[in-house]
Amino acid sequence: MGDLFSLFINSVFIGNILLAYFLGMCSFIAVSKNIETATGLGFAVIFVLTITSPVNWLIYHGLLAPGALSWAGFPDIDLSFLKYITFIAVIAALVQAVEMIIDKYSPLLYASLGVFLPLIAVNCAILGTSLFVVERNYTFIESIIFGAGSGTGWLLAIVSMAAITKKLSYADVPKGLEGFGITMIVAGLMAMTFMMFSGITL
Amino acid sequence: MLNDSSRYKEILVKGIWTENPVAYQVLGICSALAVTVKMSTAIVMSLALTLVTAFSSMIISSMRKKIPSNIRIIAELAVIASLVIVTDEILKAFFYDISKQLSIFVGLIITNCIVLGRAEAFALANNPVDSFVDGIANGLGYSLILIAVAFLRELLGTGQFFGFSVIPNCIYDIGYQNMGLMVLAPGAFFIIGLLVWLKNSLSGISHEKR
Amino acid sequence: MSDKSQDKNSKKNVIIFAIILSIVCSLLITGAASGLKSLQQENMRLDKKINILKAANLIKNNQKPPKDVILKLYNDHIQEVFVDNTGKTIDKEISDALHLYFYKTDNKINGYILPINTRGLWGKIQGYLAFKNDGQTVSGFSVFSHAETPGLGGEIENAWFQKNFKGKKILNSQNKFVSVGIAKGKVKNLPKKIQDHYVDGISGATLTGQYLSEGIKSTLAKYEPVSISFRQKKLKAMDIHQNKE
Repeated sequence: MGDLFSLFINSVFIGNILLAYFLGMCSFIAVSKNIETATGLGFAVIFVLTITSPVNWLIYHGLLAPGALSWAGFPDIDLSFLKYITFIAVIAALVQAVEMIIDKYSPLLYASLGVFLPLIAVNCAILGTSLFVVERNYTFIESIIFGAGSGTGWLLAIVSMAAITKKLSYADVPKGLEGFGITMIVAGLMAMTFMMFSGITL
Repeated sequence: MLNDSSRYKEILVKGIWTENPVAYQVLGICSALAVTVKMSTAIVMSLALTLVTAFSSMIISSMRKKIPSNIRIIAELAVIASLVIVTDEILKAFFYDISKQLSIFVGLIITNCIVLGRAEAFALANNPVDSFVDGIANGLGYSLILIAVAFLRELLGTGQFFGFSVIPNCIYDIGYQNMGLMVLAPGAFFIIGLLVWLKNSLSGISHEKR
Repeated sequence: MSDKSQDKNSKKNVIIFAIILSIVCSLLITGAASGLKSLQQENMRLDKKINILKAANLIKNNQKPPKDVILKLYNDHIQEVFVDNTGKTIDKEISDALHLYFYKTDNKINGYILPINTRGLWGKIQGYLAFKNDGQTVSGFSVFSHAETPGLGGEIENAWFQKNFKGKKILNSQNKFVSVGIAKGKVKNLPKKIQDHYVDGISGATLTGQYLSEGIKSTLAKYEPVSISFRQKKLKAMDIHQNKE
């Protein structure tokens, strides 16, 4: 149990999927001006990640990994090279489902998230998390915790960035740094802050 | 003939400099930074992305009149994913050490905004040859930034260039130390922010909001 | 013109297009994957061999000799063996047999190399820990696979970290098994009498160091029968059966 908790905390802070591994930045930069939109998107990402991680785990270990098909009588087949395509398909399908659910239950949120929802499907962080689960050989439970943790870390990063960017609009940023440049510098400072947590043992 | 070559030149200049995908269009930075710790990985990654973008744009462009509109994105993703898988397999077979270091980031080319972005913005409306050139151009623009970041990170962070130590020992003796920060995530963010600033100041274009 | 666009969006067309696209893509990727598979597996095997040779100090850390040099070095000096839990070498692999490598020159065993396979902070850490034939002194350490954070835990793959293992001892002055571990901070700040059993830690990567230390300790404990055989000089000469790779 302690290990799982450790994994969760590590994926939120020290191994923050965005600030340490640079994944999920496209949407990050696009929504980072508006705190409400950022929060909504963040929660959507947590939801998608917590579901796609274990689902992709099941598909990988049940169908694609070397030796996975032994239950069907094909112990020699190694379909792991199909993981990219299957993971993306699962993610796209799930995001579509999430979009329909949000549209039905909260048209207001749907209106503000609008174009960003399909962007979650091609958000590197979602695919990246599933791929990390495979590469690091996590168990099923670990994949759920890792998914939730990565999503939470992403939410934290994007909301903090939105808040900071809002304050920045009062600052006198040099012309060449406007927009992307200053966002990167702020992200760097945030990354340093999150790294502080590596000195803490639980 | 003259028309063609000047058009290619225009596409190339746009992709590499004036509308550089990373600095101007703010695309594709996602998976990029993690591989910029060393120049060798950055170069292989740049090559992979450039070729995938070029070929996927060309293939999608040649199919553009036939793709049904309601499965457009899926069809594009299928083409891109297939190319990326083939690239990954080739890397594991011929460049094993580098592919180990690139780990999941080759696969992430699929979700890289540049590849899909060029397919949507250019390939669907232009002929295959132009699309190929455009893919190469944007790939090179991305490579420019990526390799510049990697050069600085490797040099300042480990004192090496391509794995060879280039800072003479006498400099270390007088107290110079490698900037550990450059090897870590924040270093990458700072370098790319500063590089984009430099690039924007040079070309006189200040970044427009998307 | 509108007729044409209606055509391409018709249900039938969508299905035909999807099927053709799927078939072409599947052929392409399956072709690439199976065609290149043997090359890839050969690369993985070669990678393992390089790391075993590095741990045994037969190749320097940043060298990458050509393939035939590697294979020759490996075939001349490394022998893969299986050992049961009393430290005796056996012919075939039984279920709880220990797997290790002997480093030999001609018929003399210079040392032995153990595979380390432990959990790290993020994923598995895999490497090799090599010992002299006195059964207690480390002669080398190499890491060939890990998922640690680059720049922090990832430093375990670098020469500066690995070379510190050379000369460390897994037995203390009372001949008790204490293993070798990664200190929190620098070894020179530890009490003198335990300095032989630790290597410098990586700043900012305490957890990676802890996991690796635990992993090494439990692996070494498992292989103690082999180490004891060496300490009692039972395995100096090549009296073992030849095993095929």
